[in-house]
Amino acid sequence: MSFRTVSEKYRERALAGVLLSPALLLLFIFTYFPMFIAFRMSLYGGRRGPGPWVGLDNYREALTSPDFWMALRVTAYYVLGIVPASLALGFAIAYGLHRVGPGRALLRTCFFIPYITSTVAAAMVWRALFNPRYGVANQLLSWIGLPPQRWLLESRGVLFLLTGGWIPADWGPSLALCCIILFDIWHLSGFMVVVFLAALQAMPRELEEAARLDGAGSVTLAIRIVLPAVRPTLLFLAVAGMCKTLQSFNSIYTLTQGSTVLPETQTLIYYAYAQFYEFGYWGYGSAVAVILTVLIIVLTALQFRMLDRGRSMS
Amino acid sequence: MSIRLSVILIAVSVLSLETACRRDRGSFLPVDPNAAVFWDRQDTQSAALMRGMVEEFNAQSRLLPIRWEHGGGYAEIFRKVSAGIQAGLLPAMAVSYESMTSEYIAAGAAVPLDRWIHDPQVGLTEKDLSDFFPATLECNRYALHGNRMYSFPLAKSVLVMYCNREVMRCAGIQKAPETWTDFLEACRTIHQATGKAALAAVPDCSTFSGMVFSMGGEVYDGSRLQYDGPESLASFSLLEEMVREGLLSLAPPGTFDDNIALVRGDAAFVMRSSSSRTYLLKMAGEKGATLLDIVPIPQKNPRRPATVLFGPNVTIFPVPEPQQKAAWGFVRWFTQPEQAARWAVATGYLPVRRSALTHPLIRQNWDTWPPNRVPYDCLEFARSEPNVDGWQQVRVLVERALTEVMSGTRTAREVAEWLQREGTRALKRATQAEGRPGRDDRNST
Repeated sequence: MSFRTVSEKYRERALAGVLLSPALLLLFIFTYFPMFIAFRMSLYGGRRGPGPWVGLDNYREALTSPDFWMALRVTAYYVLGIVPASLALGFAIAYGLHRVGPGRALLRTCFFIPYITSTVAAAMVWRALFNPRYGVANQLLSWIGLPPQRWLLESRGVLFLLTGGWIPADWGPSLALCCIILFDIWHLSGFMVVVFLAALQAMPRELEEAARLDGAGSVTLAIRIVLPAVRPTLLFLAVAGMCKTLQSFNSIYTLTQGSTVLPETQTLIYYAYAQFYEFGYWGYGSAVAVILTVLIIVLTALQFRMLDRGRSMS
Repeated sequence: MSIRLSVILIAVSVLSLETACRRDRGSFLPVDPNAAVFWDRQDTQSAALMRGMVEEFNAQSRLLPIRWEHGGGYAEIFRKVSAGIQAGLLPAMAVSYESMTSEYIAAGAAVPLDRWIHDPQVGLTEKDLSDFFPATLECNRYALHGNRMYSFPLAKSVLVMYCNREVMRCAGIQKAPETWTDFLEACRTIHQATGKAALAAVPDCSTFSGMVFSMGGEVYDGSRLQYDGPESLASFSLLEEMVREGLLSLAPPGTFDDNIALVRGDAAFVMRSSSSRTYLLKMAGEKGATLLDIVPIPQKNPRRPATVLFGPNVTIFPVPEPQQKAAWGFVRWFTQPEQAARWAVATGYLPVRRSALTHPLIRQNWDTWPPNRVPYDCLEFARSEPNVDGWQQVRVLVERALTEVMSGTRTAREVAEWLQREGTRALKRATQAEGRPGRDDRNST
């Protein structure tokens, strides 16, 4: 290796270092440093201030607390309610738009608008729709002869309500959580539509044409040909959607008016927030936040592995 | 090698930054070094009046100027102060409920005010102190923290019942009910005559405390919660019965849907803070004075009445002394009869000193609309809620229990037992986290 080549290599590295350093600095100050502080805080007791060193007691308390497991269960309902539904809806709409000729850009904008609307502003409108006394939702129910519901105040399970009490009230997600899930599906689908549409437009036309010549119908074409072709996008959206949903806070906070009254609407991140800010258990709240971070990392790693497998298959 | 070096560099940077950010517990930097910042909840008209009064104070004071800032509602201010405690940066003072102040004390972020109160130059004389309604001072003493005053009353309000006279007249009811038995009967009559749910209510912890007090009970006796007591159970049972008979309409927490229902004639009764009357009258417009009435909440025994006392106190934070002194100076000035009367007439809050009641502005206010006097009469028998550590969490649990009963999803007995159990657990957890023995432990030793 010549002296010139070695010198160029170091120069390139130096340039890369210079270019990356502002982003790394910001990442360090606003992400890794707070993460370290949160972890350190999770090893201490006390309320609203540094208390005594308690080691892993906060983690032990969390993992043995029924409230923590309740929040984890709510989180699971929340993620499983939003991600598959918004993926399916996003794909269906994108596929429809893909086949539409004129007006595609306008329709795409229409579907994307919910995503770029402020979560808080949109959630406030939805909260008004679900108002048990003056909301539109109950008015719609009354027009079709159904009894009014308490919507965001209803702690009982939606399965219990649908089956008239056959299924226990604490099975499945509560009606209040379903209202929040519905809002988030509406909000997130627009993003899915745009990304799916980009993937569909990048797909080789020949694939579809060949399948059509072989006699494939629209449904078969969508499921057997198009869906496998956009599998990497699907997996990417599943990972992004899951991370976003696990970290989702604004919609729950706004729809419940910042209330911590119903544990049936408290996801892990909201539970950590309530313990930290509302009740002052800084160490415990931080421990829950650290557990959530680990959970997100593990689930993301698993999905990335699937993504890699998807890429190699496609 | 380079990876190892990077890891070492990151670790060293994190630790140095962490050391640089570390501060002593109990010391805070002021939000503004040149002023005493006051985080308040007042908005719109009352905010304009407060701003004007602050300017008036600043013009005549030799202390640091007060800088008034709207900080959102009580809950938002509480969250902001919590974040400020974490950041080590606080205003000079903020409005707070007792349960919030006890959380600030736990963080070493509240200044005991006894020193300022008894200061020979800027303090209050014995005569001044005896002019305060005793309950307004007592609720600011924190028994678990040496019985010191960590907050000071700014203005107060009491739980009262608002009535829609038109709905009552439609049902043939001439007089607002005085006892809970009469109240239930009145609600039944209204429901039968109009088909409306007579009471519109939000699940609110303070309102429930007022109900328990008026039933002759307590929610906390100084060592133990009393939610499984007969008075608490009677209050839950009353709500349960009203829900079962369609007499109660539940409004979402944090909303004013109950007030809207009252003014629109969708409900006959609402239980709310006396400070809501300005807002209700404004919402009702021209007909407000004839449409609405204010009465004390129903009682078990009207000869021994009780209601709940709430309304803003002020907590002063451990910022440098000039800020603290200016903050105390403003609080002292604001509670004087002249200022207190002006504030009370304009906002619906109640003055904390008896001598303010003789002020011409207050008298004129009573003459203009006689129901204005009712909250002042209630001040004599109003009691505050507990201010023990962990009460903030108990409030959430009470509201959860109320939502369950008022939704008809659980029975009164079930929620009373659940609340007693979970509330006790919450208080015990708070005291243990503070490093003090839990109440159960203390009782056993």
